[in-house]
Amino acid sequence: MIDLKNIYKYYDNKFQRTYVLKINNLTIKEGEFVTVMGPSGAGKSTLLNIIGMLDVPNEGEYFFMDQPAFQLKEKKKVEFHRNYVGFIFQAFHLIDEMTVAENIETPLIYKGVKSKERKAMVAEMLDRFNMVAKKDLFPSQLSGGQQQLVGIARAIVGKPKLLLADEPTGNLHSEQGKEIMKLLQKLNKEGITVIQVTHNEEFAAYGKRIVRLADGRIESDEIFSKINQPQLT
Amino acid sequence: MYNILISTYRNFVRNPVTNFINLIGLAISLALVIILSVYSFSELTTDNFHKNIDRLYLYGDFNNRMYMPAILKDQVDLNIPEVESSVRLAGSWEAPVFQVDDRDPITSDIVFADVDFFNLFSYQTAEGDLEDSLNELMSVVITKSLAEKLFGNDNALGKNVKMNNNKLLTVSAVIDEPKANSCLSFSAITSVNTRKIIQPNEDEYTNWGWNNFQLFILLKKGANPYETAKKMAELFPKNDYEQEDNSKLQLNPFNGLYFSQFALYGNDSAYLHGKDKMKMLILMMVALLVLIIALVNFINISTSQWLEKLKHIGVLKVIGARRSTIFLQLLAEAFLLFLMALLLAQILVNIVYPLVQNYTGIKFNPHILYTPYYFIISITATFLLSVVFSSIPIYRVSSSKAIDNLKKKIEPDRKKSIFRGVLVAAQFSIAIVLIAFTLLVQKQVDFGSSNLGFNQSNVVGINITPQLHSKKEVLMKLLEEKPGVDKISFTQYFPGKTNSHWVTNQTVDGVEKHYQFDTFNADVDFFDILGLQLVNGRLFSDKLTIDQHSILVNETFVCEHKIDNPIGTKLIVGMEGHQSEIIGVVKDFHYKAVSEPILPLLIRNEPNASICLVRLQTSNFALFHKTIQDIKTVAAELSPSFPVEITFLDQAVKNMYQSELQFRKTFSLFAICAIAICCLGILAMSLFACQIRVKEIGIRKVNGARISEILMLLNKDFVKWVAIAFVIATPIAWYAMNKWLQKFAYKTELSWWIFALAGLMALGIAMLTVSWQSWQAARRNPVEALRNE
Repeated sequence: MIDLKNIYKYYDNKFQRTYVLKINNLTIKEGEFVTVMGPSGAGKSTLLNIIGMLDVPNEGEYFFMDQPAFQLKEKKKVEFHRNYVGFIFQAFHLIDEMTVAENIETPLIYKGVKSKERKAMVAEMLDRFNMVAKKDLFPSQLSGGQQQLVGIARAIVGKPKLLLADEPTGNLHSEQGKEIMKLLQKLNKEGITVIQVTHNEEFAAYGKRIVRLADGRIESDEIFSKINQPQLT
Repeated sequence: MYNILISTYRNFVRNPVTNFINLIGLAISLALVIILSVYSFSELTTDNFHKNIDRLYLYGDFNNRMYMPAILKDQVDLNIPEVESSVRLAGSWEAPVFQVDDRDPITSDIVFADVDFFNLFSYQTAEGDLEDSLNELMSVVITKSLAEKLFGNDNALGKNVKMNNNKLLTVSAVIDEPKANSCLSFSAITSVNTRKIIQPNEDEYTNWGWNNFQLFILLKKGANPYETAKKMAELFPKNDYEQEDNSKLQLNPFNGLYFSQFALYGNDSAYLHGKDKMKMLILMMVALLVLIIALVNFINISTSQWLEKLKHIGVLKVIGARRSTIFLQLLAEAFLLFLMALLLAQILVNIVYPLVQNYTGIKFNPHILYTPYYFIISITATFLLSVVFSSIPIYRVSSSKAIDNLKKKIEPDRKKSIFRGVLVAAQFSIAIVLIAFTLLVQKQVDFGSSNLGFNQSNVVGINITPQLHSKKEVLMKLLEEKPGVDKISFTQYFPGKTNSHWVTNQTVDGVEKHYQFDTFNADVDFFDILGLQLVNGRLFSDKLTIDQHSILVNETFVCEHKIDNPIGTKLIVGMEGHQSEIIGVVKDFHYKAVSEPILPLLIRNEPNASICLVRLQTSNFALFHKTIQDIKTVAAELSPSFPVEITFLDQAVKNMYQSELQFRKTFSLFAICAIAICCLGILAMSLFACQIRVKEIGIRKVNGARISEILMLLNKDFVKWVAIAFVIATPIAWYAMNKWLQKFAYKTELSWWIFALAGLMALGIAMLTVSWQSWQAARRNPVEALRNE
């Protein structure tokens, strides 16, 4: 699904070139649950942003579902964001002026889904996350965990193939964090490819594969499929 | 669409203060712009309601000669085929008094016109038929408002009106006042033939020497006005006194008459009035400036809001919004704001217009506000304004990179804050110029009304009605009996009243000289009451007939006509051509408004008078008012058929500066609006500045900064920009003021304090506004600010 080749991202100073990202090869298949780990400044978020086509590297090639992603026109990129990918952020990034239901509905509007269908899909999401009673509240009236739930609902309401989560639990306490991780795991089971960035070893273990970055390079890339399975209830 | 409405509403509610400021500022300025554009529109379309306007001309030379002999019309009708119709117009030298039965007499105005008048000019009839309304002798057409004054709710048609207590006129039609602006205005109109009866004047209608009429010409279609004017000039007899000027006589299109500066003088020409186009243009420009101030606010406030919105836009892009979608949405929000401002402005105009009209004299027919054209134009203009002033920043915001928006905290951008500072400086420059100008106009009006060279206080003038005229002695005796009356004088002079202007050729000491001068009658007490100073010779002696033919002149008279020994110089003066002797020279005084130069003045000691000046004793305030009441009663009893008006001299002087005063009022109104909008603007900006500097303020306070230091820090920026504004505004204001003062013959000085005061006022207001916000920010607990991490 995702094929990164010789992705280099750097900043040129006067005398030297500082690499933010230096990845020679990274392939992620459909249905994987990848955790990207590493210390601050290792390039985790940059990697995620490049995969999400929010950012472009200075060099390299990126194939998304066998299509060269960097050659995509602005319009195609918008299509990509609409149909293939959902984002979850550490700071939730909900729109403060919109209610919970409206926040979830917005991507569907951009996707061009008809009003009736939209209402049904939003209702389904609200139902699924047990937020029906809160649908008319504004984000500031919710707890952090609930806000992240709305963030996730918004990310997956458009039925994306890929879910990108940039420290989704960073602003939550551990109980809420666990809830969110379980949810991601469940979504992965349902067939969505998940890539998450986290600092937390415990949460990293929810994934099937851990990619560790240091100074922009891949330090290790391990796949362990069985260990976490029992945690799924 | 619904989504946009909802999001606009929520946006508004989220930042109620700044949005409200934005909205109010826009609404105020739009209201001003609406009032002034409608006013200008109404001025610019003056007289357009006359169907024949394109073929109507006024014959004359605007600079010198607007009055034509009556006989010219007859000659034109006979000899010039290009002229379809011609109409003479003349006013009445004395304002006529109308009376119906035994009701109260009413002072009004009347014009005399040829019977074709209503064929040339288009008026709507309210009662009767206009077609032949002037044919009958002694028939009169009156306006609806005069009809209401005279007849109340009764039908006026066919009824009699007594004019000046002796002539009976019959109302043959009643006309509606024109809805649109017009340079012709009158309350009653009657025919020239009727004039022959009520104001007979020797051989006025057969002799070329009398110049008493304005001649309006309706040309046939396709006729050339230049050629026709030339032909008309040749109709004058060859030995005509003003022959050489005849080549300058032209057919002046009636269409532009309102804004042409024609030299009409005398009370009898009040029916034809024009306006200074310059003043209107200045007002338009100022309205534009106020609009600019409000738009600057809009730009400042909305860019700062859009910056806050960057993150929101980043999110929208990540979840699949197109750039164009975001662009359109923001644009729609901006337009909605403008539309709301327009609506508010409209309401404001409806509420405020009557007040503004009273205060500044800006007049237009409010029905213009309800025409569909107005509707379409105002909405289109609003739409264009919103698009022009928001599309660039919106474009920049909407095309920013999503990832940057999500990552970035909103930091105060140095470049942008300079840009905003420049805008604030521009706003305040405008405000300072307006304040300074207001101060200057006031100063000039004060100067014009206080340095006239004669005493104005505690003097009232009584107009001598025809009935009082024959009872002057009685009036004097009765008034002298009243305890509060100090001195009485009969004269023809009163501030604001036009003086006779005489032109004669005289042989003095064997040399023929051309004399021209203003002149009026006065008696001995006149000089005492006005406190005029004698430079040379003596004043009239006390009511003795020996000075019947003595005259006094002012210094300018002596100077201008180069008389070496004025005392004893003999001139032939007056209709009867008496040999008169100059017995004294009085110091120059401003008997006219200071916009006009002092001309040679000749004061005669003849008994004709139109004003009775009374000086009152001032020792007792209660008595003062009673005396005025007494004077009124006495005069009114002596003049039952003609209303008596009592006017204070100082008030009359003020009235001479009516148009300047109005100008000042209009300007001060603008200045206040401008400053208010400026203040709203910097209030919003200081709010924003405090918001983004909350953390900085917190850190500084934790590190021991005092509140005063924080205040300094926050206010410094604004003070700097206001100071810069002052530097920019001063030369502009100085230049504009000089230009404006040029039209006055005598002007006040441009003192430095005008600028200083204007600058200080602007600075003070700015400081107050900003400090209110800074004070709150500075006093906040730093822990709260820093916890927000």
